[in-house]
Amino acid sequence: MTAGQDGRAFLVLDGLTRRFSGRPAVDGVSLSIPEGEFFTIVGPSGSGKSTLIRMLAGLERPDAGRILLRGADITAMPANRRPTCMVFQSLALFSHRSVGENIAFALKMRGVDAATRRARALELMELVRLPADYLDRPVTQCSGGERQRVALARALASDPEILFFDEPLSAIDYRLRKILEMEMKDLHARTGKTFLYITHSLEEAMVMSDRIAIMRAGRIVQIGPPREIYARPNSRFVAEFMGEVNVFAVRGGRIEGLDRPAAAQSGFLILRPEALRPLGPADHADVSFPARIETGYLLGSRSQLHLSALGRRLVAELPGAAAAELRPGQEGRWGFDLADAVVTPE
Amino acid sequence: MGARAGRAVAAVWLGVVVTLIYLPMLSVLLASLANTRYMRFPHRVWTLDAYREALFGVGQADTLRLHQTSLAIALAVVVLAVAIAVFGALAFARARWRGRGLFRTLVMLPIFFPQPVLGLALLLALTAAGITPDWRTAVFAHLVWIAPIVTLVISIRLYGYDAAQEEAAFDLGATRLQVFREVTLPALAPGIVSGALFGFLLSWSNLPLSVFTTGADTTLPEWLFSRTATNYSPLVPAVAVIATAASAVIVAAVAVIWRLAGPRRG
Ligand SMILES: Nc1ncnc2c1ncn2[C@@H]1O[C@H](COP(=O)(O)OP(=O)(O)O)[C@@H](O)[C@H]1O
Ligand SMILES: [Mg+2]
Repeated sequence: MTAGQDGRAFLVLDGLTRRFSGRPAVDGVSLSIPEGEFFTIVGPSGSGKSTLIRMLAGLERPDAGRILLRGADITAMPANRRPTCMVFQSLALFSHRSVGENIAFALKMRGVDAATRRARALELMELVRLPADYLDRPVTQCSGGERQRVALARALASDPEILFFDEPLSAIDYRLRKILEMEMKDLHARTGKTFLYITHSLEEAMVMSDRIAIMRAGRIVQIGPPREIYARPNSRFVAEFMGEVNVFAVRGGRIEGLDRPAAAQSGFLILRPEALRPLGPADHADVSFPARIETGYLLGSRSQLHLSALGRRLVAELPGAAAAELRPGQEGRWGFDLADAVVTPE
Repeated sequence: MGARAGRAVAAVWLGVVVTLIYLPMLSVLLASLANTRYMRFPHRVWTLDAYREALFGVGQADTLRLHQTSLAIALAVVVLAVAIAVFGALAFARARWRGRGLFRTLVMLPIFFPQPVLGLALLLALTAAGITPDWRTAVFAHLVWIAPIVTLVISIRLYGYDAAQEEAAFDLGATRLQVFREVTLPALAPGIVSGALFGFLLSWSNLPLSVFTTGADTTLPEWLFSRTATNYSPLVPAVAVIATAASAVIVAAVAVIWRLAGPRRG
């Protein structure tokens, strides 16, 4: 893997590997993350994301590989001495302590006096938008979103150089999650710290990140800015991870089912649902074929249609207005332009 | 109609159960207020003579010594059992390691042993090792049976506990010792208190293990049993009532201190 955009080596992972009973959970991951980046690792459950981030935080020992921070090898440094801090999936708030005591915990461990701790806790609460009167409230009485903010403030209190997040929003309902995603991005901008975020939701990663790495079975399979990952997935796995897509096999330089030459000898042609469109008598498309609408769903402002065509099922997505006259059972010509499709080698 | 009949049956059943549980205890109190060694209700004479004898008379030395012995054993058992149980509970409720299941089984096994058999086994072992039994060997015997129970009580507490809290504390710069003091121990505290109370009461009232392992020393239950069997007088139920009151005071004191100890709970 190459270094970050500007080549500054802030955090470097070099061949990190961790095995559990012989099976690699993280398998030779190398990355370079520049200072101040919002970097997200996305992958399905069990792909090794937590194991990777726990090694970076110092909570798990790598079996092989090195971690460098500003060029210094911190591989053997224990978590309590690393200038990094982690927000856990369960948040891991101290359940027998108040909001203020949770936030100021790192300062207490450093021997900071009570008055200073209190003042700093209040500052951090303002930063994460927690009302000041929550200071003495037991964390057990806070709502999901409030607990999230407590966990963020607690991590920031130790003034870490890097913040790690292990799917902190996975247990939060959709609406609140959207709000917290924006706040997280905003907090990243205001603190200027390096954020290394983990999620299984590519949608979440797209919203917040400067760069995204896709992880699969312990390895990074693609890395790049969100737009690039979306526009040019390098494998069927990455494409399907982003949502429903139409996949055509490419064999012997031809696209199967379409009987057309492809840009590669073998691999897959990936066609996003929004690249498919119905064709009027005068419309032209690179590839066109008769299709029958099987079912249709309204997804807010867009509609998703399932088509029978080319002896298989295809998924199409249209803006609500364009789909208004389309009904299940209708037959007609559909098509797409090859420029809207991506050919991946695997 | 059916519901009302059902409720009546439930009420009667509850009444019978409560009576069966509490009537014998009440009869100990009543027996202690008699002046005769023959149980006959109602008494012809109601008197506090037995209490006078137990607290200020010829029985005073007995009463005091019995309480001292039982208290010494119970306190030693509580301190040791809690220390063992905290680490035992941490070992088998939290960390995943090979042999965890076997460890749990081995620790829990003594609970399922009939206590007299356990007592006899321990006595035989002590004799074989050339150790003369006294109250200290009884402490050991009680521990074999009580430490597993306290471990169980404390580990129930640990199941609802997010062990990631400890990692979070470590990640926030705490040393291993600070993690234990600031996170693990406070989370365990309620379990420790209930485990300690439970262990105390189990030791305080234990007869089958003590009979075999106290040697020349005598605990309250042992004395109550032997005096009831051979040399009964109202002094026996009077000492029984005093012992019950003493343990009730200790338990209540711990409960009150725990309540007042601070707003921390959960
Ligand atoms: N402590 C552990 N002991 C044994 N296997 C583990 C342990 N932690 C993780 N694994 C295994 O490693 C793989 C990756 O797990 P994890 O890093 O938690 O993935 P993710 O966070 O992406 O869901 C999984 O197969 C998991 O079962
Ligand atoms: Mg995980």
